[in-house]
Amino acid sequence: MYGRGIYALRDVSLVVEKGEFVFLTGPSGAGKSTLLRLLLRQELATEGSVKVAGRDLAKLTPSQAQSYRRAVGFVFQDFKLIPSKTVLDNVGIVPRVLGATSVQQQRRTFQVLKWLGLQHRMNAYPLELSGGEQQRVAIARALVNEPALILADEPTGNLDPDLSLEIMNLFRDINSRGTTVLVATHNRELMRHVGRRSITLDHGHLVETA
Amino acid sequence: MTAHWFTYCFQEALASLGRQRVSVLLSVLTIGAALLVLGGFLLVAVNLDRAVSTWSAAAEFSVYLDDDVSPEQRVALNTLLSSHPAVASREYVSKADAVVRFKRDFPDLAAGLADMPNNPLPASIEVRLNPAKADGVTLEAFARQLMETAGVADVRFDRRWLERLGQIAAGVRWAGWILGAVLLIASVLTVATVVRLALHARRDEVDIMQLMGAPIGLLRGPLVVEGILQGGAGALAALGALYAAYALVSGRVLALLGPAFDAASFGFLPARLSALVVLVGMAVGCAGGYLAARHVR
Repeated sequence: MYGRGIYALRDVSLVVEKGEFVFLTGPSGAGKSTLLRLLLRQELATEGSVKVAGRDLAKLTPSQAQSYRRAVGFVFQDFKLIPSKTVLDNVGIVPRVLGATSVQQQRRTFQVLKWLGLQHRMNAYPLELSGGEQQRVAIARALVNEPALILADEPTGNLDPDLSLEIMNLFRDINSRGTTVLVATHNRELMRHVGRRSITLDHGHLVETA
Repeated sequence: MTAHWFTYCFQEALASLGRQRVSVLLSVLTIGAALLVLGGFLLVAVNLDRAVSTWSAAAEFSVYLDDDVSPEQRVALNTLLSSHPAVASREYVSKADAVVRFKRDFPDLAAGLADMPNNPLPASIEVRLNPAKADGVTLEAFARQLMETAGVADVRFDRRWLERLGQIAAGVRWAGWILGAVLLIASVLTVATVVRLALHARRDEVDIMQLMGAPIGLLRGPLVVEGILQGGAGALAALGALYAAYALVSGRVLALLGPAFDAASFGFLPARLSALVVLVGMAVGCAGGYLAARHVR
């Protein structure tokens, strides 16, 4: 709930099973991004609880919250890449600085970049990349820690239809490897193309599950 | 914490310093000015201490004798002096020797002395002290004992004004610390402001790192290191400026003081104090950096 009695989400109760691919849809302001922010623990629910893998996110200490975030992949509509860092650093800087400099970690980063067709762009800076490439870097960053859960907030919002389809196919591939994927979008054509469960929100209420 | 962590913090701090050179320069100059004041006071205090120490080593009692002192009284006085552990050596200066010394030290006044019908200068015993055994309390007591000895007209004790000089040195040192502390607090706030500007400049980056799960320490670390680097640079600048000022004025100060001051005991801040100035600068920077870093939550 925001101040003065305004609810961003109200009476929303839903369960996403492990390994599921779920679309969150609804008009702008429906509460899709708020739900994802709650799942990333960017915000805390004023009422009710948000549990991921049985852990109540509100009960995490700041240190545990950061540790939790490292275990969740997040993809933003505006990519949120660090412009002063190369593709390689954008993808792997946090684990590397935290000491994960093992050959295994480097191999994993390279594998992810190669899988997403970015291995030849490792040393490029985000502003030297196209929009599609930037979003693929963002997805690589979300994948590099092999998260069990990936959250994507309008990941194709800034991309043309062909690139959007390409990115959505990537998410489908990721999901086929066992990763739970939650994608917020209002692109119904893409949802039809992927053909998975969708949850519709409107004015903060869950209105439909299909 | 790992070596990668420190390397990352250091590299990010250097990059940030490079991005905002002008404000960093102002911050470094502010810290430098504060530490220059503190260092200047310390330099004066250190040299006063050295002077006190040098003069203390050469300190002496001058025991002036009554004109009518008897040979027995002189023997008793000599026995008293020779038995005291603080006395390193002694020399008897007769009334005639006193005149010779007076004419040598004050030639302009010698004519006036010659006009006097009788020699007004007293005979004395100059007692050189052993600095290792000549603590203030012992000497005060010894001076009182001498004053009460028969045949003694007066006792002049160098230590008293040396102690006053020592107190002045301590006062100068404290004044430096107090004034320095006030300026250093201002420096902490300046560093905090500059580092906060740096934080605003890379706010997006910090937010992204936070969403990627970077620990708070990793986000705050570069800001604290940035402050430490600014503080260290300010301290080095202050020491450089202080040394330049010392090199410029030391010759003139020594010429002004003349033979009263031993040039060999005059010098720049010792390495220990110079290191302390640098450490204080880095601590100031660290405090400023931390104040700014607390805004990352």
